[in-house]
Order: sequence, then C-alpha cells, then structure tokens
Amino acid sequence: MVESLFSGEFLALLGAATAALAGIGSALGVGVAGEAAAGVVSEDPNKFGQVLLMQALPGTQGIYGLLIAFIVLVKVGLLGGDGMVDLTVAQGASIFAAALPIGLVGIFSGYAQGKAAASGIMLIGKKPSEMAKGMLFAAMVETYAVLALLISFLMLNSIQL
Amino acid sequence: MAVVEMRKLTVIGLNSSRNPFIHELMHLGVVEINSQEGVVSDEDWMPDIFRTSNSADVSRLEADIIRVSTALEAIGKYDTAKKPLLITRKEMGRNEFTALLNATQTETEMNVDKAVFAYKNITDGQNEINRLRSSIAGLQPWLKLDIPLEMNETEFACVVYGTTGAKTDSGQLMAAVLEGVPSAIVQEVSADKQQKYFSIICLKEEKDALYEALRPFNFSAVSMADQKGTPAEATHHYEKEIEAIEAKIDENAKVLAALSTARKNIEFLYDSLVMRRDRARIVGDMLSTDAVFYFDGWMPAKAQPEIEALLKEYEFFYDIQIPEEEEEVPVLLHNSSVATPFEAVTNMYSLPSRKDIDPTTILAPFYFIFFGMMLSDAAYGIILSVLCAFVLKKYKPEGTIYKMFKMFFYCGISTFIWGALFGGWFGNFFTVAAATLFGKEFAINPIWFNPMDNPMKLLIFSLILGAIHLFVGMGIQAYMSIRDGHPVDAICDIGLWYVLLIGLVLFGVGGSVAPALASAGKVMSIVGVVGILLTGGRKKKGIFGKITGGLGSLYGITNYLSDILSYSRLLALGLATGVVAQVINTLGSLAGGGVVGAILLTVALVFGTIFNLAINALGAFVHSCRLQYVEFFGKFYTGGGREFRPFERKTKYIKIVKDRDR
Repeated sequence: MVESLFSGEFLALLGAATAALAGIGSALGVGVAGEAAAGVVSEDPNKFGQVLLMQALPGTQGIYGLLIAFIVLVKVGLLGGDGMVDLTVAQGASIFAAALPIGLVGIFSGYAQGKAAASGIMLIGKKPSEMAKGMLFAAMVETYAVLALLISFLMLNSIQL
Repeated sequence: MAVVEMRKLTVIGLNSSRNPFIHELMHLGVVEINSQEGVVSDEDWMPDIFRTSNSADVSRLEADIIRVSTALEAIGKYDTAKKPLLITRKEMGRNEFTALLNATQTETEMNVDKAVFAYKNITDGQNEINRLRSSIAGLQPWLKLDIPLEMNETEFACVVYGTTGAKTDSGQLMAAVLEGVPSAIVQEVSADKQQKYFSIICLKEEKDALYEALRPFNFSAVSMADQKGTPAEATHHYEKEIEAIEAKIDENAKVLAALSTARKNIEFLYDSLVMRRDRARIVGDMLSTDAVFYFDGWMPAKAQPEIEALLKEYEFFYDIQIPEEEEEVPVLLHNSSVATPFEAVTNMYSLPSRKDIDPTTILAPFYFIFFGMMLSDAAYGIILSVLCAFVLKKYKPEGTIYKMFKMFFYCGISTFIWGALFGGWFGNFFTVAAATLFGKEFAINPIWFNPMDNPMKLLIFSLILGAIHLFVGMGIQAYMSIRDGHPVDAICDIGLWYVLLIGLVLFGVGGSVAPALASAGKVMSIVGVVGILLTGGRKKKGIFGKITGGLGSLYGITNYLSDILSYSRLLALGLATGVVAQVINTLGSLAGGGVVGAILLTVALVFGTIFNLAINALGAFVHSCRLQYVEFFGKFYTGGGREFRPFERKTKYIKIVKDRDR
C-alpha cells in the first residue's frame, strides 16, 4: 500500500495533478475580477466588452497548469500512447518536481493578477480610454506565471524516460 | 517616423464675417483653437474686451441634441432591423447634405417630436403598470375579504385591518382581544412567511380598548380606504387597467417602429445640430470687442497654405509662428501607411512629448514579429487576417478602430509566417486527423523547426531578438542625447553598455566559435566594467558620490538581465498556443475513427479553435504591448504629449466629403 504511494507512476500523476492546481489561482483571480466587472457594468452596461477582456486575463494560469499536466500525461503515455510506461521512483519524482513551479506560482500569481485586473476594471469604470494601461498592470503579474511555465516545460522536456 | 511639425496661429478678424469664417474653419478641420479663459486680466482692457458668451445658444442647441438623441434611442429600441457591428459613417457631399437637410428638416422635426412623445407615453405607461402591479401585490393577502375596502365604518361599528408577525399565535391574539373587547369579531384573513393578516370588527367606542388589547402582539394597522370594492374586485379592476395601458404601449411601440424609416434623416439632423453646437461653442473660446474677434491656436505646418488662403480671402489679420523651444505643442503623429496602424500601440501608452521622437515606425516591425511568435499558428494567422480584412472591407471603420483592425491584419500575416516556420497548423490537427480517421501517418513539416522538439533553440533565439530590441531602444536614447548636444552621455551611458553587454556575450559563448572571440569578449567586458565604474558617477559631487554612482550604475546590469529574460515569454506563449491546440486535437480524437469520430474531431476543432485563438490572441496582444512599453520604452521614451484636437466636424453618422462633380 505505502509502496504504491511512492511508485514512479503515482508520483508522475501527482505531478500532473499539482500542475493542474494552478487553476485554483485562476478561479480565484477571475472571480475577484468578475465581481469588480459586474460592479462596473451595473453603472454602464456598454463597458461589458472591455471589462470581459480584463476579466479573462487571470484565466491564463489555469491554462498553463493544464498545459503542463497535459504534457506530463503525454510523456507517461496516458494520452495518445499505448498505456502508461513504467517509471522508476526517481523519474516519477523528477516529473513531480518539474510540475511544482507552475502549480505553485499559478495559484498565487493567478490570485494576485485577479486583484490587479479588478483594479484595472475599476480604472475602466472611471477612464475607459486608459484600458491598455489597466491590462498592462495585470500582465506585469502574469510574467511570473509565464516564467514558471517555461521552467516547468524545460524541466519536463529534459527528463529522459 | 514623425511628430508633425506645428505652427502657432494668431488671428484677428471682423465680427461681421465671423460666422461664415467659422464654417469654413470647421470644414478644413486643421486648426486647434486655444481657450481664452483668463487671458485678459488687465483691468483697463476688461470693459472693452470680452469673451463672447453665447452660452444661451449653446444650451438651447444642447437641449435639442438631447431631444433628438432620445428620439434616436427610442426608435433604436423598437427598430427590428439588424444592428451593424460597427457604425459606419455615410459619406456625403457638403452641398448634398445641406440640400437634404433643408428638404427634410420640417418633417424630421415632426418625427422627432412624435418619437419623443411616443417614448414618453411608453415610459409613463410602464411606470403606471409598475404602480398598479405593486397595488395588486399589496392586495394579494386580503383577497378572501368580502367587505368593500372603502367602507371602514358603519354608524356604530368600525373595521380595523392590520398585520402581525408570522410567529404570533392567532388563538392567543383572539382570546386577548375578546377579553378586552367582548364585542369584537376577529378574523385571520391569511398568513404568509413573514406576516399574518387580520381584520377586526368592533364597536366604535371600543376602538381604543381594542388597540390596547392588541399592543402586546405588535399589531400594525393597515389602511386601504383609498381603494374601491372588495380586494378581489379592486384587483380585477387594476388588471383591466394594466391591459389597457399595455395596449397603449403597444400602439406607441408601433409608432416608434414605423418611424425607423425616418431614422436616417433624424441621424442627419443630430449631426447637423452637433456641428451647430460646436460652432456656437467655439465662439466662446475667442475674444471679442464690438467690431473684431481674436483667437489663437495650433495647426500642422503642412496646412499653412490652405489656412493662409482662407484668411486672405476674408482679409483678416493673422500671424504664423514657429513654436518656441519650451512651449507645449499638441502632438499629431504621421507615419507611412504601413506603420500607421501601429500608432494605436503608441497612443495606448502615451503620445510622445516635445523631446521624444515618435517610436511608432521602430516598434512596428518588432510588434509584428513578437505577436506572430506568441501566436505562431499558420491557420490561426489566416483566420485572424481574413476576419480583420472582412471587417475593414465591410464596415470601413475609422480612427483607432481602423488602426486596431489593420494592425491585427498585419499581425495575422506574421502569425501565419511563424506558424509555417514552426509547423503549427491548428496545432497538430492534420497529423491527428490523418491518424484517427484514416490510420495514416501524415505531418506538415515545419519550414524551420518545431519548438516542442527543441525549446532551447527557440529560447536562445527569443533572447537574441530581445537583445536586438533593447539595443535598438538604447540606440535611440544615444541618438537623442547626441541630437540634444550631449555626446558624452551617449558614449558613457549607452556606448559603454554596448561594449560590456556584447563583450559578456562573446566571453560567454564566443569561445565555442573561435577562441579569439572569447578573449576579445574578455577585454571588452573589462573595458565596459571599468568605463561604467569610472563614468557612472560623473554627474555626482564629491569622491564618495562618484564611487557610489559608478557602482550603482554597474548594478544596473541586473536590469538588463531581467529585461532580456523577459523575452522568454516569446517562447512560452508560443508553446502555450501549440500545446492547447494539441490538447484540443487529442480530445477530439478520443472517439476514434468513423463518422462519430469525424464529427467529434470537427466539433472539437471549431470550438477549441475559437477558444484558443481568442485567449491566445489576447495574450499575444497584451504581452507584445508589454515588451514595447516596459522593456523597449523604458530605454528611451517618456511620453506625456497632448493630443492635437482640431476644431472639426465631430459627426457620428455622416462623413462629409468634397462634393462630387455631377
């Protein structure tokens, strides 16, 4: 029983699951931004399109997490392969480690970006012409999710099975 | 690549020909008129010079505009015709417009009145319906009552209606009332979640005793004496009324719907009113005496001949000057037709200040490349370009919207190129489709290489692109320093960094090409470091300041490092598009081959593509902007210029063009 918890296969899947947890950050972030967006739209329904774009910005972390999870699944042969390949504990643990950056950074950056996006939405409420700047403030946060995605990807890519 | 050169214009003209002159000025639409508020403060001049105040005219026109726009809004609500995605202004000659307006004005005014009246009827009717509905809701709990509401007393008896909380025990209440007022008849009419509803009949003289007995139960009396009949009758009556009002609303809605044919003319009237308002308002920005008026403002140097011709025709006094060094001049950008759409990127940040150069032309190729790399799917590129081309052709948008669509049209081309280079056509759709549906091996080979197989190669390529981008930005700063007469700044702040950064790269990787490069890199790095240490603090005072200045300057190398690493997003976002597309295709292939498999694959492709394209195009747009604004502009650009806003026709529905020859 305990051994199966520390098998390579299980650790690899745990990695995929961890990466997908980045969606927590996006869910929180999109939620916070959505609350602000509803507030602005209640004042001026014409701004719907603009604020919807802003609300979508913190959604990317979830997608990045999905990407890494997907790559892990393909790599271990669960998707598009002939069943799961046998993994050593070291291999499984490496895959788990590779998934950590996007999993963790995704959660926190998604939430933080959501708050920045919510403020950007308030900005649109007051000055619709300054939308690009509001987007930029949110995108500054996303940089770190992009970097985490990159590191996770490069790590996964270099793990030999 | 240019900020348009401006000229300062000062004009004094005769009041008698002011109005036709303002007409012509608006027609040309190339002069920005400065407000003269607070210009004349000299007591001696005050009585003779005044700012022409025609605020009465302005507010009258303003009221007219509101009336007409109400009419338009009302008609728009009941117009069943499909609304276009973008409003396109109709092109029309000047005389044609005037003639049309004169011919239709009386009728159009009538139509406006009709629309406003109908709309008012509708809103009034809706308010009335709301009021009746709330009355009906108020009567709902009393429906069982069979006493006419207006009859609240007879000669000796009176009736009291009221409510208590839902938790009140009815039996207790009745017992308490009967104990205090034996003559009373208590009836519980109904009860809901919040309240219980009672009607109580008693002798008039015992009314006070009744209230006394009810006090412990938080009984609150309800008065309904203003309504007629039993609650059921009253409700029925109200419902009839609502029906009548609804019929009336329908009638008025039909009037509005019928007016939709007159909508075009009302829109013309709206535009003409707006122009008249603007002309009246601009007079308020001028100074006048009894006989003459004065104004000053800005115009592009290129417009000088036509303005001079106009002023000569009217025989006005005028003066045209080149603005002084320190003066704040409004900014108008003019770029080649290919670079113009990218002005949207510059505009979103901030217009260049007097000291900046217009960055549009330089950022355009980089924006083009970056966007394409981040989206990097040939099929998506084609979709994006075709969509934008369609919108441009069909709706002929103007201004910023035009620039945006045109820019995305170009970006689509770039996306196509990069997608073809990297072998992305809906991700790996065709490979997956061939394998699941036909069981065949098939792949569209990338022209260059597939980043999924060799991400490090693309990462290095991205960083090199970033370095070029940054070097160009630094080069502009150096150019500006030299232009402003500070060549030393250009050498110390930019040149030495060039030497150091190039030296470091050679030192690091040049050795693998030729050993000599590495040693040259070493020398360059040392020269750069020493140079920066020595010159970094040259503007500081004291030996201590100079040393810390040099060190602080050298510490700036961390900025360059993080700037360059920031370009790794070119790889990351490009991969994101590719992998999401793969996820979609894999999901689509889950049902295997056959008809069901083909359908699933198609559905996944359509919806997945819409989703992926939307989310990643947004990402590519935002992050391309970021690389320009933070990394690139950070090197040389300050911004903060004020937009040039000429006095022109700000029409919404028509675009007045030169009269066509007939």
